[in-house]
Amino acid sequence: MKEHILDRIRNIDDLPTLPSVALEVLSLAHQADVTIQGIAECIHRDPPLAAKVLRMANSVFYRRGDRKVETLHHAIIFLGLAEIINITTSLSVFSALKSRKAQEVSVRESFWDHSVATGLIARHIDRKLGMRAMGREFVAGLLHDIGKIILDQYFHKEFITAYDMSIEKDRPMYETELEVCGTNHMEVGFFIAQKWNLPSYLADVILWHHQPSQASSRDMAALISMANFLAKASQLSCGGDRMSFILTDQDAWKVLKERGYDVDALDIERITFEMETIGDQVKSYIDTVMEPTGKEPGNG
Amino acid sequence: MDESMAGSCQKMTDETFILLRDFIYEQSGIYFADNKKGQLEARLGLRLKANNIPDYDKYYYLLKYDPNSSGELRSLFDSVTTNETSFFRSPPQIQAFREKVLPEVIARKEKQGDRQIRLWSAGCSTGEEPYTMGIVLKQILNDRGADWEVKIVASDISEKALRSAKAAVYGDYSLRSVPPEVKQSFFVAEGSSYRIVDNVRTLVDLQYLNLNDARRVQIMKGFDVIFCRNVLIYFDDEAKKRFVAQLYDCLNHGGYLFIGHSESLHNISRAFKLVHFPGALGYKKE
Repeated sequence: MKEHILDRIRNIDDLPTLPSVALEVLSLAHQADVTIQGIAECIHRDPPLAAKVLRMANSVFYRRGDRKVETLHHAIIFLGLAEIINITTSLSVFSALKSRKAQEVSVRESFWDHSVATGLIARHIDRKLGMRAMGREFVAGLLHDIGKIILDQYFHKEFITAYDMSIEKDRPMYETELEVCGTNHMEVGFFIAQKWNLPSYLADVILWHHQPSQASSRDMAALISMANFLAKASQLSCGGDRMSFILTDQDAWKVLKERGYDVDALDIERITFEMETIGDQVKSYIDTVMEPTGKEPGNG
Repeated sequence: MDESMAGSCQKMTDETFILLRDFIYEQSGIYFADNKKGQLEARLGLRLKANNIPDYDKYYYLLKYDPNSSGELRSLFDSVTTNETSFFRSPPQIQAFREKVLPEVIARKEKQGDRQIRLWSAGCSTGEEPYTMGIVLKQILNDRGADWEVKIVASDISEKALRSAKAAVYGDYSLRSVPPEVKQSFFVAEGSSYRIVDNVRTLVDLQYLNLNDARRVQIMKGFDVIFCRNVLIYFDDEAKKRFVAQLYDCLNHGGYLFIGHSESLHNISRAFKLVHFPGALGYKKE
């Protein structure tokens, strides 16, 4: 009688879409012969997005010094390709998945807080471990829980039941989702990632961020998994935030160690203390992305 | 402490803040997060004044390069840890103790048929910490309380602090984080002060103990949870390593150590498992 929610999601006609330009930028980024000019031209094909990227480059979050960035070309030189990809992806994802119903705001807010925090923490750990993920870790952190927002949007009642159950029973969301919805946010997110033609490392992280040893992009999945834990520890989580954990016992830790990263040298205490104030950075980032402009891209 | 005095000093730049923050962390394991810059500025402002040093940069160079700066380092530690004790201090730690650690310890012991719980407040000062532990334990055990034998050892090196802990009478300021229902159930008003109720007071065994005295510390055994907050700062690296290894030995398997909220055992001990609780860290002996 109860149809599998994942099957029902497959049949939804109006699933959110990513602007084609964002997808193109993401795929361009992985080509060896990518040029600044090529990326700039691509973003220019979506003028509202181009305007927003430029505004972002001049925001408090990204701006360095007094110099104003006047053109996209400049912005790419100034911030670097990885950061431009981060910006276009976050802007596109944020606008594709903006809250639709007022009463859902609270879960959505914690969702974005958690996603941005995971991206920022992943960037921090990437630098500490010298993983050289080149900005991809931020996008991966931003998107790892994307399935949750789809569940929240299309199966709100079930999702909230799973969410409340997770908090009440101190259990991970993926367990309570499976119990209530017959699927979980990893499967749903993986489906969307494929539908959007996201790069395979992103689809991989979305599917395996709770079991990184199963992933093909194991390093990235483990990095995001670890950042996910630390985001929860800094109380920026989306469900299951009262959980306690031992980081060194996690799959992510073992994977990174196996892969030759010197995780034992990480000062986890210090990283945890540093991340306690990450809320301010997260807020500043979200304010910048969400800040309304005169002409909102994609809505007109 | 009069932190307003710092107003007369020069401002601390972000660069100097980071230098001082890293130096203090390296030396003491205490971390000042970005949002604690004002606090560090105010506290070190007093040290600048005391040393007649014009700015924070020069103060940093004194600490880092002056061979005679060890005395100043001590005063610096005193000033960064001068945080008076109070009931239910550091709520996320208390919450971890209440919601995660005690239920886990109790469940394990019930399974083993062991009905004893032993806690230690190492460096208990005027008693707010061990009495808070006692209140939380009473709340958790609730009507099962009679089945359990509970002992809270509370030790300090200051006789004066211990006398005050023994009197167990506190002013409003000490009780500022105590929820009204807790105040009602666990305190008795005495004029403008409050006395801890007898059934909590008698759980606590106050002892004089110098934590630097390795032989005395060695006989402390069989604890389930140890709170040792903002104490390690007074030990040098070698003494810290020895003392923390002793704390490990003092704990039962499955027991937990809590240190100060922004304190770290990184580089001091690898014996424990670091546990992340919501908003707090703990160290577990497996």
